[in-house]
Amino acid sequence: MLDLNNIDVHYGATQVLWDVSMRVGAGEIVSVMGPNGSGKSTVLKAAMGLKKATRGEVILDGEDLQGKSATLRPKRGMSIVLERRRLFPRMSVRENIQLGAFTRTHAEAARTMDWVLDILPDLQPHLNATAGKLSGGQQQMVAIARGLMADPRVLLMDEPFLGLSPIMVRTVSDIMRTINEKGVAILFNEQNAKLSFALSHRGYLLESGRVVLSGSGEEMLEHPEVKRVYLGQRAEGAA
Amino acid sequence: MSWLIEIILNGLITGSIYALVGSGIALVYGTTRVLNFAHGELIMIAGYLVLFFSVTLGWNVWLASFLTLVMVAGAGALLQRATIAPLLARDDWAFRVIAATIGLSIFLQSGAQLVWGEQFRTLPYFFNGVAVIGDVRMPWQRIAILVIALLIMAASALVLYRTPLGRMVRATAQDAEAALAVGIPSGLVHTAVFAISAVLAGAGAILLSPLVSVNPWMGVAYLLKGFAVVILGGLGSFGGAVAAGFLLGLIESFGVAFAPTEWRDVISFTFLIAVIWVRPNGLFAGRGA
Repeated sequence: MLDLNNIDVHYGATQVLWDVSMRVGAGEIVSVMGPNGSGKSTVLKAAMGLKKATRGEVILDGEDLQGKSATLRPKRGMSIVLERRRLFPRMSVRENIQLGAFTRTHAEAARTMDWVLDILPDLQPHLNATAGKLSGGQQQMVAIARGLMADPRVLLMDEPFLGLSPIMVRTVSDIMRTINEKGVAILFNEQNAKLSFALSHRGYLLESGRVVLSGSGEEMLEHPEVKRVYLGQRAEGAA
Repeated sequence: MSWLIEIILNGLITGSIYALVGSGIALVYGTTRVLNFAHGELIMIAGYLVLFFSVTLGWNVWLASFLTLVMVAGAGALLQRATIAPLLARDDWAFRVIAATIGLSIFLQSGAQLVWGEQFRTLPYFFNGVAVIGDVRMPWQRIAILVIALLIMAASALVLYRTPLGRMVRATAQDAEAALAVGIPSGLVHTAVFAISAVLAGAGAILLSPLVSVNPWMGVAYLLKGFAVVILGGLGSFGGAVAAGFLLGLIESFGVAFAPTEWRDVISFTFLIAVIWVRPNGLFAGRGA
């Protein structure tokens, strides 16, 4: 479905991604885990076309989107929930959600709005509220709703749990599973290894802009290096 | 009592021009974070265009005004595409854009001197006669400035808050990357915003030209007042700039009622400094586009 092949990204003269390749299959949840500054957000932005890759391919269902405008992605079935929600704070919740369907017809948008509110019913009473005045958790719901309004086949989620309470983390995890069960593939990034790999079918470990490890969620959680560095556990057999 | 009505009317008339100019600058700054130092020259170009169409060619003033607004909108769009858009692609664009627009401003002033010379020209009044409001007598031309400026700003607000284009502009102003992510072509929105801003400047120029002279430097004073209005209104707030424009006009009008006219700028900029002191983010901060 979505293939990132040999992606390099530079910020000015500084290279931040090196030969990154990832794959998101239809109906999969795939996570990108890594420490701060490892380039996780840049991977998602490069996939979405918000940051230009200096080398490599972004292929969605056989079509190479690399070098094409970011505005094309929602039309092709890819959308993103940006880090820290990034809502349009002075607009209403309804306007924020509707803008997610910017590239679609009114009829399509209205249909998808019903579907989105079915998945996120808690948003219904807040539709006329100003988005910037909602709590962090509610704002994350709006951001997810906005992302879903493009009716994506693959949804990118940049640090979806950042700044949320433990209860909201559980809620957002459940919503991600629900979305996935409805046929939407998800590529998300997260710093917390346990959260990241427990939620995903497959995962990638990114360090200093390079993919250093990949495997199924279970394999990643059981990998000695992940256990030692990211889960704070001693590898079996260690002294 | 009549003197008070006259002061208020004069203040509102001057303020309406400040509001037109300032709201254009605020719209551009609020959406693109660009301070366009060549905005005053859009006023000047519009002044010469309306002079050319209505006086040199002798065309109907409404047709001349319409053509002027269309052409100045094109000039604003061209300015953005040719000068600013290439710089915005760079990470370190902020200072470069200021330098480029200052350079463009000087270029356009010098160009106007070469093409039209240094002499000051004036348009005839569009509206003849004098309105009588109680004991106050006010030329219809001046009343028309206020009425037409209000209509233009109301139309702009309608576009901004009630149309798909306005929604695209507001989304881009509030978060350009998020707007791009949902499919809004932010580059085109930036160009459209410069065109709208140029129309607002052009409207100010057309309304002003019968009262003040058209000359290569006519935009400079209004640019400075426009910046003052943008700061007072809360950087980038369209509604704030409109309100601040009228406020500044009223303050100047009351000021020169009790002090010599030469003190006009001293009064307005002293007020600006006082406001910055008390409210560094302006009087209407946080009410952006």
